[in-house]
Formats: sequence, structure tokens, C-alpha cells
Amino acid sequence: MAELMANSGRCTYFFLYDGTKVQGEGDPTREGICYFYPEQTPVDQQELLCGQLAGVGRCVSELSSSPVRVLRLRHSKFAIKMEDDFFWALGCAMDFPTVSMCDRLDQLIKLFCFYNGPVRQSYQTNSRETLALCWSRYLFYLQAGATELHHIFSCLRTIDSTHIDPLLLLKAALILQACQRCPLVLAGCILFRGRVVSTQMPPCLTVRVMAHETQTYNKVCVRLLTWKSLVSFVLSGQHNSIGHNIIDFRPRRTRLSRTLSDTPSTESTPDLEPEPPGRPMRLDAPLSPGLSRGAEQRDATPTNDPLLSPASPRFPEISPLTNQKGPRRGGQEEEDEEDGPLEKSRYYSFHSPDGNTSQTEFQGEAPPPTDASPLGNPPPAGRRAPEREGYPEGRAASGGSGGDILPGAGVKDRTVVPMTLYQHRVKGLLLALLVEPHLQRDTEAMEEVYHSSLASLNGLEAHLRTVAPGAPGLQGPYTFAHYDCVQNTLTTNVSGRAGGDQDHSFVRATSLLHTHFCNSDALQEAIIRSARTAVYATRSVAQETYFLQHGGALRNSGVPNHQDTAFTLPSKARHRLLKHGVSLL
Amino acid sequence: MKCLLIASESAEVLFYWTDPEFRQNVQDQYGASQEEGQRPPAFEDSLNTLFAPIIISCSTMVDRLGDSYACFTTENQHNYVLHQFDECLYIAVNGDGQECEDDLRRKIYVMKKMIEVLFGMVNLSSNLLRKELRPQDTEQRTGLWKHLQGLLETYSRLRENDQSFLVEAVERLIHPTLCEQCIEFLERRLLPALNSSSERNGEEVLHSFILVHTKLLAFYSSRNTSTLSPSDLLALIVMTQSMYPSNTDQEDPGPEVQPPPEACSHCTTPPIDATYCSDVESVSVSGLEMFYTPQPSPTNRSSSGSGTSCGMAEDSLITLEVSPPDPLAPTRVFLEVSLKDGLYPMMPHSMYCRPLWPGITLVLLTKIPNSSVAMSVYSYLEAFAKLEKRLSEGQEGPAAARGQPTVHDLRSKLDKFIKALGPCDIQVPYTLHHIEAIFYCSYAQWSCVCLASRLIPWCKSMKTQLCGVYKQCFLNGTTRGADAPQRLSPALQELAQAMVQEKLMDWKDFLLVKSKRNITMVSYPDFPGLVHFICVDRSSGQMIAPSLNITERSTSELGGGPLAQFIRGKVWGLVRTARQYLQKGYSTVTLRDGDFYFCYFLWFENETGYKLDEVDLPVLPDDSPPIGVLARDYYRKLLRYYSKTHAGEVVKCYELLTVHLGVIPTEYILQHCRQLASKLWEPSRNPLL
Repeated sequence: MAELMANSGRCTYFFLYDGTKVQGEGDPTREGICYFYPEQTPVDQQELLCGQLAGVGRCVSELSSSPVRVLRLRHSKFAIKMEDDFFWALGCAMDFPTVSMCDRLDQLIKLFCFYNGPVRQSYQTNSRETLALCWSRYLFYLQAGATELHHIFSCLRTIDSTHIDPLLLLKAALILQACQRCPLVLAGCILFRGRVVSTQMPPCLTVRVMAHETQTYNKVCVRLLTWKSLVSFVLSGQHNSIGHNIIDFRPRRTRLSRTLSDTPSTESTPDLEPEPPGRPMRLDAPLSPGLSRGAEQRDATPTNDPLLSPASPRFPEISPLTNQKGPRRGGQEEEDEEDGPLEKSRYYSFHSPDGNTSQTEFQGEAPPPTDASPLGNPPPAGRRAPEREGYPEGRAASGGSGGDILPGAGVKDRTVVPMTLYQHRVKGLLLALLVEPHLQRDTEAMEEVYHSSLASLNGLEAHLRTVAPGAPGLQGPYTFAHYDCVQNTLTTNVSGRAGGDQDHSFVRATSLLHTHFCNSDALQEAIIRSARTAVYATRSVAQETYFLQHGGALRNSGVPNHQDTAFTLPSKARHRLLKHGVSLL
Repeated sequence: MKCLLIASESAEVLFYWTDPEFRQNVQDQYGASQEEGQRPPAFEDSLNTLFAPIIISCSTMVDRLGDSYACFTTENQHNYVLHQFDECLYIAVNGDGQECEDDLRRKIYVMKKMIEVLFGMVNLSSNLLRKELRPQDTEQRTGLWKHLQGLLETYSRLRENDQSFLVEAVERLIHPTLCEQCIEFLERRLLPALNSSSERNGEEVLHSFILVHTKLLAFYSSRNTSTLSPSDLLALIVMTQSMYPSNTDQEDPGPEVQPPPEACSHCTTPPIDATYCSDVESVSVSGLEMFYTPQPSPTNRSSSGSGTSCGMAEDSLITLEVSPPDPLAPTRVFLEVSLKDGLYPMMPHSMYCRPLWPGITLVLLTKIPNSSVAMSVYSYLEAFAKLEKRLSEGQEGPAAARGQPTVHDLRSKLDKFIKALGPCDIQVPYTLHHIEAIFYCSYAQWSCVCLASRLIPWCKSMKTQLCGVYKQCFLNGTTRGADAPQRLSPALQELAQAMVQEKLMDWKDFLLVKSKRNITMVSYPDFPGLVHFICVDRSSGQMIAPSLNITERSTSELGGGPLAQFIRGKVWGLVRTARQYLQKGYSTVTLRDGDFYFCYFLWFENETGYKLDEVDLPVLPDDSPPIGVLARDYYRKLLRYYSKTHAGEVVKCYELLTVHLGVIPTEYILQHCRQLASKLWEPSRNPLL
């Protein structure tokens, strides 16, 4: 949290205001406030901000016949989204780039829709409190952990590929490909300790999948093998393209020819030979006092965590299970959990005591009757059922469920497709796959996916764990940031916390230049210099690079001078950044 | 789609300007909401209704959150910029992508500057200013707004087309011999002739200059006179251009869209006004017709110019006439004066604009007889402001004791001031007696009750009264009594005009051409690949740049077509970008943009041309006043800031912007910049003022 406070990328306010709830003169503004962050804000201030901003927003959008996007005050600024009578505002500090602020709001809203479906609909089927919990989690996720540079570029956090054997990255990619042999699997990604190892999804989807992983990872660091699925919503356009949009994070210098042939055999044999769950167990021993009980269950197959599965009437095997299990879990009945329904089911989860505590913690935060995980938030089966019928075979036209259920025109062109997120965790490692919902009915296919990846995941986890985490990139007499616009990743040697003077001015310059790049199509290269620092920035279609050379004071008059050190920055950057795998040629 | 609106806190429209598209948009919105057969409401009322929620929300935010709106952007890239000056809220809107947020903020500040130039210290009292900006009388209001609209349009046109208004520095005609001759002429012949004449009615010509379009041919200030600040000079050029638009307009007419006449607009004024209007009509002198144009037409500035000078803004209860455009009537302008004992803002001057030929204008600035009153008023205003501050900071008792001698002092001074004013005017003493009464009253109260807080409202009302005196003296004076308006006699003005015409007779055609092709890139053959440059000397507020004519038939080397337009766009964009970085403390910027390479440098030198070390420039917040000169002189502050570390040295500040072809290697580009920086300000090439 302390880190969050220090970060100027932190948001100051966030709220969702529902204009349909406040239409008459006498309606109190608080009726319309669906969520407000910080939650401890006094209600009259919440009302003031929501009422005034939403009112002015509506007035301006009427004048311009277009929704408001940015609303700036003297001391703070807000990214605004107005859609379907909803009014979102995300406030940030003044020095945070406006483009990044708007990106973050969009990300936040899409993240919500990814796990909960269309906003109007989810507010009709869920209580405000439940959804407030979701908003706060997504907000936390989007702000947590990363450096200010990460916030500026709103990028994915990836493992530091310079420290990792490229073979491992290739292996990760192969695991994903193997999973795709099942036609119901659309795309997937592999994450390790909250960072992307390999992904086949476009960056925007990976971010959303990660939201769930990061939450669970932070909470349950030593959770053993589990796998679960939860419902998610993808725009139909995206849905069609997911399978074709394969991205992986292998550094470009990977020697494909060698690895392709020998990786599967070398990697999979040692993993497959011992009993798959055995190894994680051993590794986990020091951490888990409840070793013996965990080991007893090791041979069973992990289950589709029913807590997180969509409680849909279409999956008869799963939904009753969910209904029985939810309340019981709420009562923290470990025994019941393991002995009761699990026997009937072919799948069940492993729970080490650690896993269990976390599970209860998880459970405790969601109101028991809704039987929903706070993140993936499937509503209770009964209430959900009529709506689901509105989705004809996965290709949902949400408008089809009738005007009273889904009012508003904004939704109709944004058809969402419900999908299932399959997650398979091996300690710090997570395999997340976007699958067609009916994969869950197809036990054969599900098992196949599970088994085809299990061993390799174990092996990959073991290897990744040995890599020293967090060692920052090569330090040198310079600071740089390299942003890959296609993969949405950032390579930098700015360490999150050091926060030196140089780093600070570098970040400031970077945010200005990034804004400039965003607003100008033709701009390719820039050098900006103040009395103390000079920063060089260059961009192409696929990347943006920022470079600052440390050194003594620049003692310069600022008059045009070709011997000025600032103008040697481009060649220095080309040179220095080569060893970080960044080519500016 | 553009609009600029000034509103009071109670959402009353104090001034508005819109372009035809915006007007149409508003009318469409209202047309749609109107019932069949009903007349659409008057435009001003629609505007008021549309913006009222924003204005009211703005004051709610200030009251309850201590923060107010600065800017809105919509998804279709409409920009709204809001700024509050005292109790007046300015809102500027752009919906056609031509103006960015910074441009709009600049427009607001320029509007504010123009109002300061026209109304002087009345700006210090929101109450009085509100009455000045929105005269009760409809004709007067229409006239005044038309005048202000004209100024705003002229400014926008210049900012769009004129490089000197792009960088906000004065451009001189580069012709050393002629310039020198003209300056000498102004110094030795014109000013002595005018200032020695008995027909000057107590006025004294302080500054005189000759403009060819917007470019300065010659400028002369009489000895021992305060210099005219670059900001004021630019504002005066805008006013001159508004009165006598240069013929560039005729060659390139803007969209001459006449808004549909709204016969009903008069009906919207309250009945009390209507009766009053009939009074005006019966009493007033000739020339009212021209203001019967029911609605101000935004694009028609020709008639508004000189006729609706600031004299229009006077209190309608006292003066009734709306004088016809009298070309010989001076415009009252309030300019900054720096004397040995300090800086006096908004001191009254009279400005005489004499067109010599179309495009060439002579401007005379005179000191008016009672201008010393303004100085006194200013110092009393300052004294009361200080007193008020002290009173509100310290509480009763000790603070009062400390304050007492000052009050005593003030009282005796004020007494003298009132006595000195006595014989000047009939109106003035009345108000001042009033002041005195309040003053004694408050003083007595203070002595007895010793409650400092009770005096604060009295301080405020004293300030208002002082502003009122100032207004009486300087805003009503210009047109009071048709018998003896305070001005240089018409004969004298005509003499001045004739003298300069005679002097420049042989040069006029040359000057008109020269002003279009002041310097050209052809004169810089040693700089292959250099497309354009602008060099500015911020200490003197002057700039040099090759002509970039877009609207002309006479083309520059770039030709008159899309290429020139393209380069123009790039140059305008570069200036905008450079300012953005400068605002955040970056003094050097180079950009590779498409096929071009842009450079921007800002540096300091001492008087001998020695380059001084860079210092950390201040980093300004996003809603700080725009970087420029016209509205707020950023560079003057910058120089003051820099001089702190270079005490005892004269510091000069320069800026250079260049546009090169992108294929030129960077080292050559930098060499070019270096050469330009050292060469341009050599005395042989550029005669200084």
C-alpha cells in the first residue's frame, strides 16, 4: 500500500453513477451512486462529485452531441465514460498523462464486463455490494505493484526474458499450442507470479485474464494444483479473432531450430515419469504443514472448482454441486467439502491447509448467498437462468432478452459472447485458457486438456522458480524504457522504488513524450532538454523507446550547438540498448 | 464551431461571441425543442439556458470543493476551456478541431487583456465591470459587444495568419535606412510639431508609431517616457487592425455568413429597459441608426471599429449619446507605465489611429491631462488592499494598533487628494465626499469599537468607490459633452496625418509590397535544406521570420498552394509543441516529424552577446496562463527569474525555431541553427528600436 501511495499513477477517485436512478426532482443523488472510491469518502462529498460531474457532463455532451471524455479541474482531472445512462469517472493526479488515464478507465470497465457481462445487466442481477467488491478489486489490480512507467504505458507485466533461458519461453508457448489441439480451447496464456510468460491472446485480453490471476496469486501464494473455470465475456469481434491472434513473449533471438525438435522430449520426460502431483508436493513441503493430508489426495484429479464455475442450468453436473457446496463452504466445513460432493464428482480440488485458509478468506468476502467469487461473479443459478436463455448458443445477442431487462441502446451493437476461463495452477504458475463454455460438459476433452499440460506445467514451474526473481535489468550510466506497442510490454531499467532524481525526471519526460507520440502520427523522434536532463525518444509503428544518459551536469547555455551532448543521445541509445535486446536501427 | 462567453456568477451573460456554425448549432437545438408555431427564443437567451448549468455547477464546485472546472474534452474532440477571473467566468469552446486547449485558454486571456486595455482599473471591481460589460441600454450593449467581438475576431485572424501574432512578438520591416529616416522624422518633426501646438488640449503625445499592416515601420517614444510594453503594443496593433483591417481580408474574404436577422431580439429586454430606450431615442443625438442592427453580426466588423470606442461603455444614466463612428475620436486605452517609483498598471492614454493609406496607419498615444489622478487612485487602491489584507490576517487589538498609523496616514493623504480633485469636475467630488463619509465613519467605528473585522467591508467599499472615481474620470471623459470632447483637435490630427503622408508618399507602394515579403528564404542561400525559421528576441519583444504568405496572390518561394499551407500548419504546430515543453521546463526541443526536422531553442545572453548558463526553468501547471506575451508576459517573468542569479547584468532572452528537410544530417541542421542564432541579431542586419 505504501508503494501505491507514493505512486503518482494512483487514482484519486473512481465512481460509477447510474443516471436512471435519479430522474425526478426529489430523487436523492445517492440513489445513483453505484460505486465510489475511496469508499470512506463522506456521502455528501460523494453526492457532490457525482451530481456535479454527471450534471456538467450531460450538459456538455448535449451541447456537443458527444459524450465527455476528459474533465479537468484546477487540481485534479477525470477520465469520463458516458454510456447507456451510466457515468464513470476516474480521477488521477495532474501529472499523470491524460491518455494513460483514459486508457485505464477503459481497461477498468472492460475488465468488469469481462467477468460480469454487460454492466446494466449485472446491476440488475447482482447486489450493489457484490459488484462494489468487484470494482474495488479491479481498481486495486490495475494500480497495484507496477512502477509509474507501467502505468503510463498501461502495459502488461512480463517476466524478465533476459534472465530466462529462451527454451523455457519456448516450452511455455508449446504448452499453449498443445492445449489448442482441443478445438474448444481458443487461446491461452501462462503466467508466473503475476507476470506473463507466454500468451496467445491479444494484450487487452491477457490483462483481463491476469486480473484474476494476480488477485489469487497475491492471496494464495502457495496454493497447490487447482483448476477451475469461470465465466467471462468477450466481444463477439474479439471472439472471432482470438484464435488467430497468437502472441508469445519469446525474445526474437530464440534459436527455434534447435528447441523445436528437442524441447518436448527433454522437458516432458522427466516430468511425466514421476507421478505428476508428487513433485509439487515435495517442493511445497516446507511451506505446508498439512503435508500429509494433501499427499493423500494427490492422486485424484483436480476438479473444476465449482465455486467459480458458472452456475448455469445447462451444466447439470456442475450446478447442483455448486448449490450444495456454496453454503457449506461458507460454514468452513473442510471435511464435508472433501468427503461429500467430491466423491460424486470426478474432479475436485486439492487443498493444503494454506489453500484452505485462503479459500475461506476468498469465500468470506463474497456474500454467501450469491455463491460467487468476488472476481468472477456468476450470479446464482436461479436468477441467471432466464437471461442465459437469451444467448443463442454462445453467440449472445444481449438485446434479445427484452427491453425491460436490458434497457439502453448502447448495448445492442456490443454483442458479448460468454466464454469460460479455464485455470490450472501449479503454485506460482498459472495456465489460463479461454474455452468455449461447453468444454465443461465435455469431460473427455477437459481431461485431455488437463493431462496434456499437467506435466509440462510442473516442469516449467520448477524451472522458473529457480530463476532469481526481481533482479532488475542491467544497470548502466543511463536510464531507458522500451515499450512494445504490439505486445504491450515494457522493458526498462528503472527500478520501481529507487526513485532517484534522474529517474523522476526521466519518468516526467517520458510521460510528456508519450503523450506527444499519442497525439501526433508523424512524430518519429524527439530530443528534449532542460538544464539538467536530456531525454531522447524514438518510435516506430511497433515500439517506443526513451533514453536518458546519466552524467555530470550538462553545463550548457542552451544556445544551438552541435557539440551539445544532448545531440549525441541517439547514437548512444542505439549502442547501449543493444545489450538489452532493443534494436533502434 | 467556436464560441466565447463571459458570464457572471449568477449566470448572466456579460459578453458572447460565436461563429455562424455555433450559432446554427444552438438554434438547431432550440428549434428542435420548441413547439410548433412558437418563435425561437432570442439567441442570447438560448445561450444562457445552455450554459447556465455549467456556470452554476462551476460556482458550486468553487464553494464546496475549492476547485473549479478548467477544461472538458468530448469524444468528438470538442474542447471547452473555462477560467474564472474574479467573478467573471470565461468559457471558450471549439468544435472544429482548429483550436486546441492551449489556443482556447490563450483566447480567454487575450479577451481579458482587451477588457483590461479598454476598461482599466474598473476590472478591479467585479460589480462595476459587470455593469460596464453589460450596459442596461440595449443599443449600447449591442455596440459594445460588437466592438469586443470585432477585437476578438481580429485577434483570431491574426493569430491564424500572422507569424508575429503566432509567437506574440512585434515584427519590424527590415529596411534599415528607411526605418532610421522615419524614426528621425517622428522624433524631430512630428512629435515636436504636435506637442508644441496649442490645439493639443493639454494632451501630450508620448508614443508614435507607423504600422504597415501588422509590421512596425518606425516607433518613437518621447524622452523620459516609460517604454511601451510588448504586450500593450501587440494589443494596440490588434485594435488598429480591428479599426482598419488590412487589405489581406479583401483578398481572402472569410466566410461572409450573415446570421438571419432577429427582429424579436429587442423584445427580450425587460420592460424597464424598453421605456428607458424610448427616453434615449428622444433625447439622444444623431447616429443611433447604425446600432439598430438588431443582432451583432460576428463577421461584420467594418462599422464597429472606431465608432464604438470604450466611450460606449459609460454609465448609461449619465451619458446618452451613441456617437457615430467619428474617425477623429480617440480611443481610451489603459496601458502599463513603469516609472522610477514603480510599475503602474492600467494608466489612461488616448489612442489616435490615422489611416495614411489602406494598410498603412499612424498611431499616436497621448497622455491625458488628468492622468495623475489614475496614479493616485492606483496607490490608494493598493493601500486599501494592503490594509484589508492586514485586517483579515490579524485580529482585533494588536493588529488594529499596528494598522492605525497607516489609516491615519491614508486619511490625510486622501483628504489632500479630494481637495486636489475638487475643481476638476462636478461629478467627482460628489462621489469622493461619499467616500470620505464612509471613511470617517469607518475610522470612527474603528477607534471606538476596535473591531478590525468590521472594517473589512468598508475597505472593500472604499476600493469600489475608488474604482468608481476612476471610472468617472477616465471612462466617461472621452465623450462627455459634445461641446468639448477631450482630444487633440481635429486640425492637429489632420496635420499629423498629412505630415507623415507627405514623408512616405514615395514609399507607400514599396512598403505595402515589402510588408508581404519582408525577408524571404532566398536571402539565406548558405543554409541548404532550411525550410523556415523564426527568431525572437524576447527582451525587446521582436521577431524575424521569412514571410509565409498563404492568403496572398503574391506567393513566396513556397508558392501559394497546398505546400505553403502545409508548411504553415507545421510551423504553427511546432510553436504549440515548443510551448508545451517550455511550460514543463524544457528549453531545447528537436523533433523528427514526417519529412521534416524541427528545432526549438531558448537561451540567455548578456548584453555583450556572451551566452549565459542555463538554469532550471520553472515547471508550470497545466492551467497556468498561456506562454506568450500578449495576454501575460511569460518571458518578462522568465527574465526576472533568471536575473535573480545574474544580478547586475543585463540579461537577454532569445528563441529560435527552425524547420529543415528531414534528409539533412543532424549535425548540419545544428550548425545552421548555430549560425542563424549568431547572425540574425547582428546590428547590420537588424536595426533595433
